[in-house]
Amino acid sequence: MRKLSDTGDQPPVSTPKRKRTALEQSNGALNGHAPNAALPNDDSSYELPPSGLDQSTPKKANGVSATPLQQSGLKTPTQKSKARGLFATPTKAKSAIAATPSRVKNADRSARKKSARVLFEQDEDAAWDGSERLAEEILHGDGPDTEKVDQSLAESIEPKAGEEAPEKGAKQPKRRAGRPKGARNKRSPTPEGELPAHERYFFQNRAGPVKTSNATLNKVTLLTHEEYFEKLGQYVDPCKEEKEYLQSLHHRSFPQWAFEFDEGFNICLFGYGSKRKLMDEFAEWIYNHRLSDTTTPTIVMVNGYTPGISIRSIFATIVTAVMGDDAPSKLGAQPTEVLELLQSALKSHEEPVTVLINSIDAPPLRRAANQALLARLAATPRIRLLATADTPNFPVMWDISLRDQLNFVFHDCTTFLPFSAEADVVEEVNTLLGRKGRRVGGKDGVGFVLKSLPENARNLYRLLLTEFITLLDDGHQSDDEGAEGGGRAGDETGIEFRLLYQKATEEFVASSEMMFRTLLKEFHDHQMITSRMDASGMEILGVPLSRDEMEGVLEDLVLG
Amino acid sequence: MDADGLNDALGLSNDKPQNLGSYIYQPPKHGKSAGERPSKRRKVSSTTGRDDQADQQRFVPLLNGDENAESVQLRYDTYQELWSKQENKIQNILEDVDSAVLADVLSFVRNTSPQTCDGCIPTALVTVGSNVSSLSRLLSRLNGQLISTEEGSVVVLESGDAPNLKTTLKNIIRAAVTNTDGNDGYQKFLTDRAGPRLLGYDLDLLHDYVQRKGTKKLVLALRDSEAFDPGLLTDLLSLFKSWLDRIPFTVLLGISTSVELFEGRLPRSCVALLQGKHFEVQEAGNCVDRIYETLQTDSGTNLWLGRNVTNTLFENTSDYFQSPEAFSRMVKYAYMSHFFANPLSVLLANPDSTVLAQNKLCEAVRNLPSFRMFCEDLVEEGSIKQIRDLLEDDEYLIQETPKYLDANQQRMRGMFQAVRVIYVCLEHTQSAKKTTVPDLSVRALSGELSESTIVEEMVAAAKTLDSDKLDELLVRLRGILISREADAIQEDLKTLLETCPESGPLRSGYNINSTVTRTTVVQQRIRLSKGQADLSEQAVEYTNIVDRLVALLQVYLTETLINPQDLFLHEAFLFDLRNPLKETFAPRPRFAIERALATPFDYLLSSSDATMTKVSAKQPATAILYQLYLDSGALVNVHDLWQAFYGVFETEEADGCDDRVVMSLFYGALSELKAFGVIKNSRKKTDHLAKSAWMGL
Repeated sequence: MRKLSDTGDQPPVSTPKRKRTALEQSNGALNGHAPNAALPNDDSSYELPPSGLDQSTPKKANGVSATPLQQSGLKTPTQKSKARGLFATPTKAKSAIAATPSRVKNADRSARKKSARVLFEQDEDAAWDGSERLAEEILHGDGPDTEKVDQSLAESIEPKAGEEAPEKGAKQPKRRAGRPKGARNKRSPTPEGELPAHERYFFQNRAGPVKTSNATLNKVTLLTHEEYFEKLGQYVDPCKEEKEYLQSLHHRSFPQWAFEFDEGFNICLFGYGSKRKLMDEFAEWIYNHRLSDTTTPTIVMVNGYTPGISIRSIFATIVTAVMGDDAPSKLGAQPTEVLELLQSALKSHEEPVTVLINSIDAPPLRRAANQALLARLAATPRIRLLATADTPNFPVMWDISLRDQLNFVFHDCTTFLPFSAEADVVEEVNTLLGRKGRRVGGKDGVGFVLKSLPENARNLYRLLLTEFITLLDDGHQSDDEGAEGGGRAGDETGIEFRLLYQKATEEFVASSEMMFRTLLKEFHDHQMITSRMDASGMEILGVPLSRDEMEGVLEDLVLG
Repeated sequence: MDADGLNDALGLSNDKPQNLGSYIYQPPKHGKSAGERPSKRRKVSSTTGRDDQADQQRFVPLLNGDENAESVQLRYDTYQELWSKQENKIQNILEDVDSAVLADVLSFVRNTSPQTCDGCIPTALVTVGSNVSSLSRLLSRLNGQLISTEEGSVVVLESGDAPNLKTTLKNIIRAAVTNTDGNDGYQKFLTDRAGPRLLGYDLDLLHDYVQRKGTKKLVLALRDSEAFDPGLLTDLLSLFKSWLDRIPFTVLLGISTSVELFEGRLPRSCVALLQGKHFEVQEAGNCVDRIYETLQTDSGTNLWLGRNVTNTLFENTSDYFQSPEAFSRMVKYAYMSHFFANPLSVLLANPDSTVLAQNKLCEAVRNLPSFRMFCEDLVEEGSIKQIRDLLEDDEYLIQETPKYLDANQQRMRGMFQAVRVIYVCLEHTQSAKKTTVPDLSVRALSGELSESTIVEEMVAAAKTLDSDKLDELLVRLRGILISREADAIQEDLKTLLETCPESGPLRSGYNINSTVTRTTVVQQRIRLSKGQADLSEQAVEYTNIVDRLVALLQVYLTETLINPQDLFLHEAFLFDLRNPLKETFAPRPRFAIERALATPFDYLLSSSDATMTKVSAKQPATAILYQLYLDSGALVNVHDLWQAFYGVFETEEADGCDDRVVMSLFYGALSELKAFGVIKNSRKKTDHLAKSAWMGL
């Protein structure tokens, strides 16, 4: 883009291939002094069938390639370091190129300098990551600038600039013999034109070297549950009004939905964002809308995302809602039994029963057997089912016969609201990052669990921590050792099981070993303690927390 | 930040049991938060306040809320009336379609017994193909028949009911008993037995029940036989076999693929237990065509489905193997949409002028594109006065509108009659490919039929028909093509045929057999000339008749095949919006989510500058992350992703933002992307994610 302004009305129609040939023609790599002059000359001399070349390449030079530049430039306008973080490649030359349009001139100059240096001090690394070739191009002139940005981007983020990236690898003749790793850069040739969807998938997914930096999150302190919620509370949503407006638009559909219910349809809401609030409001709307008829409508809410939710329990709730106190105390263990009970109960029930299911595609409900049962529920007369679905591919859960039974009408209800209840965000991210070990959540996690435990258990943990810290103090007098131990301290030292039990009985925390073990099991389940056998066969208990954290928890326990 | 505020921000509230699996809804207490209701809440309550009297009905006043209650009610009533009529028709068709198979199956069930089957289990194999729903219809009617004659009953079993043998047997027994005695009957049946209490899966229970009821036939229908575990099926069938002398089982297997494939999955020993007959249920397509034809061409129809809707309906039917029920539900939805959202639909109720006398309704009529065209036509005719009246005088408009509506509806009916005429003619003239009524209707509805090649070819073919076929055709057309000329033609043809009964079928002059090609050699060149063969007197007369018929057809077709879009008030009686139907029944959720994330301001109508296409901190966090994600390769470094994400915020907030806040947004966004299944943990490198979805696929 900026190129156009640089060279005036000379359109940049060159491709890297031509460039390189030009380079070879001019018989040297370092003639970077008159780049602007060289380009048009070479082009005119080399471009034998201009129209033909134009047809094959123009979109690369001025159309497609310009867009990525613009986008990437805008994406990281002022923070060069950040841009480098994402799109970095080992050499400096490229990061300069990826700089902002506003600094283009300076960047150009420095890029040229650096390129010269790169070419001068060639090394193996540079040989296969393409920086050197890039450097040549920079030196050679402004012409393929846009192109180069693409390439540098394409190096690190291949599918985006997909059209350009492979061409470079495939068409380039090797400049020096014996570049052993050059082959790794080779990609399939650029596919022509609009690809059918499946081809695009394979193109985007093709094998090739994946270039990502080696940076890790080790230096970044990850969020704990507590901090996550605290910090999220401080965030001011810039789209609050728009989201509320969107919500109000969905509100207007309530009478329509009710009409659809009346006509025997079930409803499925999809789209991005949590629809829980909308469901609550719809339930309230139904409730208020029907108050004129003396009878209260029966509405059952189901949260499909609840871990461990069972279809049977859903059916049982509906049975209770329908039959009230007449519900038999024993419903039967199989969901089908409960469903049949429900169906027979509904035969004598006049009022329709509205069942609102949040996240029908959540993992606990996703199984085919569960969906089949829900479909049978949906097909039951007088049952009105409103389900929300959050994932993009939820319709694959249902085959035609289920679809027939479900009898859904679908509405796009994009809300943009966060999935705050549906997902345990910190937990999810930790698994995603492969940090399951953090499950306890450090100090806050332990504190969280302790809050929900009975007094006795808290006392035991307090006892455990007190003993533990005393032991640490006794065992390692020197400060530095304790500090250095940190998280490992818990693994090394430990309290003997017997000893702790004795203390516990003394403090009237546990009266029997059985009870003592029950309490410990709770800690075990939450990974708040570790246990191992030492050489003599004694059970040693430990705490997987750092000293600081232990003290923090202890403090909370004593004060709280 | 206090806990309440935080929960509010997250949409969580302390008193709502969002962590419960399922619960019975109780409305929140209104007392505490009456003052701080958000504005939208107020909006809703005000509308509910306004239509207090309209609470009983589902329809919302249209015309910007100015529609009067009477009109709203009329729309609803008209919908109910029109649709119930159509629904009855559909029901009749469905019953008619099934009746043949039902009769077959019923007689099979009645007439076969283990004795007639060499001691094997009598088995009916019903292949349904894609027409899944037909089997349940069939079964419920079979059940009704058998119960009403007290011969027995049908127990329907699905693969979901059969996880293992015990549960399956228990389900069968319970279903058999509840089918006739209800759930209470089952409980009583279990407890009120003499002797030791039997377990729920003991077939002795069923034996007992059969004896008590005097059941002669117990039909066990497996709806989706292919989905059953073959091992379980074998066990089940061998068990039935051994009980066959006590319980009169008949097995009915619903098969979606083919009998051979199904048989191939079962062991021989199991197949040897069965003996029976194969039944085939008609494919859904024919049934759907019939339904469509009845709905559209019936002379009582007041509301028609337009071209786009028809296209959508048939697209869905073929793409998703929809059942006839699903098809009719879509039609129903089209009717619903029309009456729910179109204020003009009240005109279909033939309301008296008091209802119509709403200012807004007249305004709506005047704003119709078809009104405009109508006026333009009037201008050409020179009736300026009439236009002026229509535009200015509400009363005149109200008085005129129903007349035009009736007339134009009549023309629509005429058009569909013409479609039927063409269809009948095509049946007689077309030999190879069959053009269906829906095909013809789509063309007719877009106003293309009268000039189409189909009609041209049909007319050409009609000319060559011989007298026998023409006679047949005229008989078929009798009820449909009503005109004096047609009757006259038929009379004449009859008299003509009576005069020459012996000469066999007459051929018209257009028939290929009656043209003769003469070959003459003129100046060493072969010259071909076509000439009429000498026609007999009757043939000439017959040709005359054919000519008259063709002329009649041509006049008739050009007259009736109008373009519905040109009719005044077609907006009221022709429903032709593609969208509510298409999006409602064939949604594209993935596209919706991708769009929401890639271009969030499509949804979030920004009041400020709406042209924000680039990534910015003004967007929702997940959208930002998703767009960064789109830019990345198959493998994503989380650290770099985080840096880029943070960069987006850092640049926009001049006074520096709290990176921990941004981090928490990052967390939220990351977990959502994970929930959507577009990223997963990669083991290739530490702290890397693998991309698992691409946009636009």
